[in-house]
Amino acid sequence: MAYAYLFKYIIIGDTGVGKSCLLLQFTDKRFQPVHDLTIGVEFGARMITIDGKQIKLQIWDTAGQESFRSITRSYYRGAAGALLVYDITRRDTFNHLTTWLEDARQHSNSNMVIMLIGNKSDLESRREVKKEEGEAFAREHGLIFMETSAKTASNVEEAFINTAKEIYEKIQEGVFDINNEANGIKIGPQHGATNATHAGNQGGQQAGGGCC
Amino acid sequence: MRKTKGLSPVVREPGPGVKLGVEDGLLCQLIHSPEFNLFSGSAVFESNFIQVPLGSRGSCVTKSGTRVDICGRPAAMILGVTSSVPSLPLPNVLLMANVTWPHGHCSTCNKPGAVPVITLNRLRIFTEKIYYLRLHEKHPEAVFQFWIRLVKILQHGLSITTKDPRIQFTHCLVPKRPSSSPEATPESSFPSSSQPSETLMLLAAEQTSGSFSELSGRAQFTADRSITPTIDIADSNSCDSVPSLVASQVHLNIPMRAALSHSLWEQEDPDEHRMQAPVASSLGQNFLGP
Repeated sequence: MAYAYLFKYIIIGDTGVGKSCLLLQFTDKRFQPVHDLTIGVEFGARMITIDGKQIKLQIWDTAGQESFRSITRSYYRGAAGALLVYDITRRDTFNHLTTWLEDARQHSNSNMVIMLIGNKSDLESRREVKKEEGEAFAREHGLIFMETSAKTASNVEEAFINTAKEIYEKIQEGVFDINNEANGIKIGPQHGATNATHAGNQGGQQAGGGCC
Repeated sequence: MRKTKGLSPVVREPGPGVKLGVEDGLLCQLIHSPEFNLFSGSAVFESNFIQVPLGSRGSCVTKSGTRVDICGRPAAMILGVTSSVPSLPLPNVLLMANVTWPHGHCSTCNKPGAVPVITLNRLRIFTEKIYYLRLHEKHPEAVFQFWIRLVKILQHGLSITTKDPRIQFTHCLVPKRPSSSPEATPESSFPSSSQPSETLMLLAAEQTSGSFSELSGRAQFTADRSITPTIDIADSNSCDSVPSLVASQVHLNIPMRAALSHSLWEQEDPDEHRMQAPVASSLGQNFLGP
């Protein structure tokens, strides 16, 4: 399917925080309570629409385990957006955010949009990290922040789409060099030479599910 | 200057590997596409498999033992190996992709009482999850032998440590076995034994692979999965828990034909199975032998 832009995303965070479940919910609209540990990296993709333009999100879901860290680091490069995920019911996953962020900043391009996600918001009774703490961390480090639930699908669409909106805005502002694919943005065949018209950001309606 | 045997020109006709569906297949096309642009320049050896339920949880299984997806179609998977860098001596990346086949492509998969699995790969990944993969029926048996050959190569390495056809080798890192014909090609210098001729095997395979390209052209990826180095793979012989499904057809000493392996494993030494090769990839160290 033709698209105006392709944005490459990467999902990072500790093991078990729900990265793969977020991807599955976004691409397939389903939740799998028991999920195999991710090895290396898995790919997912979905088309969305922003400002009337078809945008393909190519999402790289990485392994959270420390033993894979050296592998996953190599995937930061060339990502336009990152979802940095922690589990609101596990304080340690929040405490590790700084390390993840340092890794991401060190190995990615400086303009990469990072969305901080506090996942498992449906487990309110087991919450160990307050929403305000997530907001404060995001504010301090210049990130966007949302709490999500891959189980109930709460805010999952918004997390992916809002990140895309931010990237799209940066394209409009000329922050991203869209001709440099190292920035994680690829111009689609339908866009051709008439790319990068102005136009505001009028929301990101989903354009059908499916994958690839 | 004498041309090194076994090396192929940069521009060439599609080789038998393409016809067999193990080269330039769907997975190769996907990862080399502009969208992914992964491992460009590296060859990809790939095949289609049907996932069978042994050891997998939550399977939906037909009477023939084939795992099916929620739509009742066989759970198909493409397995491929490639290198992160083209000049690496051995593959170091395993790729797995779920595929949706069109209805009706697999005439026997869902047929009750179908013939039991005769060739089975047991793939154990880092997390201990085990996949049992049956080679897709459209592949000829030779392709399974190539996978077995790959396992052996990854376990024991090769005598020649590059697969990049652009690199011209003028010497071999291990002593050559004396040959009656100094001009012998890699194929003809393989030891003649009770094993089937590689060329004959490949020719037979080519004759039975006519429908493969059609199948490849109609398949669609439902999700793309790439899994990197820490993987175990084994043929069915090493799986003690499922002996009833296994009829071993493993020929351990069948070398790949140079024409097929031109960009994968170059000019392997016929005695490699007897020698300690200098290099084995990290991927190979985790492979289980037959």
